[in-house]
Amino acid sequence: MLNYLEKSRLVLGMNARNLLYVRPYNPKEARKIADDKMLSKKALLKANLPVPNLIARIRSLKELENFDWDQLPYSFVLKPNRGLGGEGIVVVYGRNKKTGNWVKADKREVTVEDLKMHIRNIFEGTYSLSNQPDKAFFEERVKLSRVFKPYSYRGIPDLRIIVFNRVPIMAMLRLPTEASGGRANLHLGGICVGIDMATGVTTNAISRNLATQQDYHLDFVPGTRLPLAGIRIPYWKESLEIAVNCQEASGLGFLGVDIMTDRDRGPVVAEINVRPGLSIQNANQAPLRDRLERVTGLKIGTTKKAVRIGQDLFGGEIEEEVEETTGKTMVGIFKKIKIYGPRGNMAVDAKLDTGAYYVSIDEDLAIELGYGEALNIFKEYFPSYHAAQIFPDRPIEYQFEAIKKIRDEHLDEIVARSNGLLKKIKLVYSSNGLSIRPVIETKIVLDQVSIATKATIVRRKHLRYPVIIGRKSLRSFIIDVGLKKEQ
Amino acid sequence: MPNLVELAINEGVPVETVIYVLMYPVILTIIAFARQIIGIKAFGIYTPSVIAVAFLATTLKYGIAIFMVVILVALGMRYLLRNFQLLYMSRTAMMLSVTAISVLIFLVVGGVFNRTGLASVSIFPILIMITTVEKFVVAQIEKGFRTAFFLALETILLAVICYFVVKWEAFQILVLNYPITVLFIVLLNIFIGRWQGLRLYEYLRFRDVIKNVELPRKK
Repeated sequence: MLNYLEKSRLVLGMNARNLLYVRPYNPKEARKIADDKMLSKKALLKANLPVPNLIARIRSLKELENFDWDQLPYSFVLKPNRGLGGEGIVVVYGRNKKTGNWVKADKREVTVEDLKMHIRNIFEGTYSLSNQPDKAFFEERVKLSRVFKPYSYRGIPDLRIIVFNRVPIMAMLRLPTEASGGRANLHLGGICVGIDMATGVTTNAISRNLATQQDYHLDFVPGTRLPLAGIRIPYWKESLEIAVNCQEASGLGFLGVDIMTDRDRGPVVAEINVRPGLSIQNANQAPLRDRLERVTGLKIGTTKKAVRIGQDLFGGEIEEEVEETTGKTMVGIFKKIKIYGPRGNMAVDAKLDTGAYYVSIDEDLAIELGYGEALNIFKEYFPSYHAAQIFPDRPIEYQFEAIKKIRDEHLDEIVARSNGLLKKIKLVYSSNGLSIRPVIETKIVLDQVSIATKATIVRRKHLRYPVIIGRKSLRSFIIDVGLKKEQ
Repeated sequence: MPNLVELAINEGVPVETVIYVLMYPVILTIIAFARQIIGIKAFGIYTPSVIAVAFLATTLKYGIAIFMVVILVALGMRYLLRNFQLLYMSRTAMMLSVTAISVLIFLVVGGVFNRTGLASVSIFPILIMITTVEKFVVAQIEKGFRTAFFLALETILLAVICYFVVKWEAFQILVLNYPITVLFIVLLNIFIGRWQGLRLYEYLRFRDVIKNVELPRKK
């Protein structure tokens, strides 16, 4: 219970978001700019950030009456200046050559009259916060990137990146679906997919059950077998850099940046949000407050550094993702393991070596584990592990034949005398000649997986790791050479 | 403050009015608590609080009935008006008008069935409930129909809770004799307004995230 409370303290709730982050870090003037799409477009352009190009503005009924509709291109987007949650946006894809009407995403046609009506509704404040009178504008339509084509229904997906203290701290991909009517908002039934900050690869996807208002996990694009995890976001680093620069340009300390990827232009900033939603935590299965607290007070020089810090601090979830999809556990090269012998078990450092095939353990460790007696018996027959020391000045072929002869004659005896602790004796050619290795049967526990295995005993005093684990015992693992050694 | 209560009553202010006015801050505090600590959103703070007061005037039974009528009519009107492309103001005007007339018909029907309590409901509580329709329409545009519906349910739930608190006799006596109690309750808002923890509802909303949190290893 206490543990649960401690854990929940790292999750960002509405109260903490508003009290600790939105209000103290987002000054009023900056909020004003962010809530006004035309103003924020201007501010971002001034900072040389990519935004969808403005086609025209309509700020009054008079401007609406005098508007030259033929100046509009074949495809465009009509937006309310202070629209909320994607409401009131009309996306036009082309023009019907016969009727001269525009065509929307759902193939329905719109006339000039329809657009005028919609704009008057925008003026009335139908789509704005607390119904304040609003303005309308036309902007260039962002074209769907090929990468996202299979994943989106009608609309354009966007990236939401949360930036705080210049560090990008969490991100998700929002996909429009049939259920959401081609819009990417979670509360309308869109899909949100968490993203690993380091690699820009998607991890866990959620959608919202509109009846219960609860977020639930999903694996595939609805109606397909297309996995939502593992999508590589194009222009990932560039998008993170844009998000960081948006924070500076907007004057907000804590914000959510929405970035769309245009087929031709690459990333463009669709919107900046003063109060980014909290479900991004569900999409990433990771707590925000923890991340916010970790970057609070950091002094960061350049944008590139800010991005690197975000990637280093908050990346890494992908590792678990690979484990989930392959069913294999990911481990580093060096690992603490448990090894069993007649005298009980010991925790030791092991090296996972895919160049080796079997497990081999150091003589001293074998003695500690209780194989001392057995090894003494072994030594009565073979005074050294190295054939070259038993038969010096002889060619290696001779050594092999001679050792083999001793082994074949005495193996049963050795096994019996060691009470079955020694199972076999192996002759192995290696860089320092022919070596003779007694084989025991043991059990090791590696990352909570217990593996019964045969192991050869060698003298490896000069090596740092008393146990080497070879390929034969590593079938259920993936080895990541980049993983740090455990403490 | 006790003198103020006495003075008011002596000067002819009805006791009921005094109680309701003194209780209003309590209602507001309950709603603030529900939002910040529990996570019940409802239609802001004003709507549920005035609906609670309206319930006091209409009695709970008729209050809820009128509220239902208002919401159902608003829902029906939404479908009817969908095909007329109307501007927001005109659309809302039509919606509110039809709702008002429907409430009148409802009251008449109540009278016909000898529900005199229903027929004699005064105009103000009715108007208050009709204003909910606008909130409902706005929520529907901004957040979608389902969310609006849930917000309406939460609003009525909050109003009912507030109604019972205000109707609680022992509490009424306490407030009348020691109006200072109200001051203390209002001061609770300082605590509520600074509460940084998760709302109860958020424990549910983020349950999977909480489960997955990795606590930093203790040194």
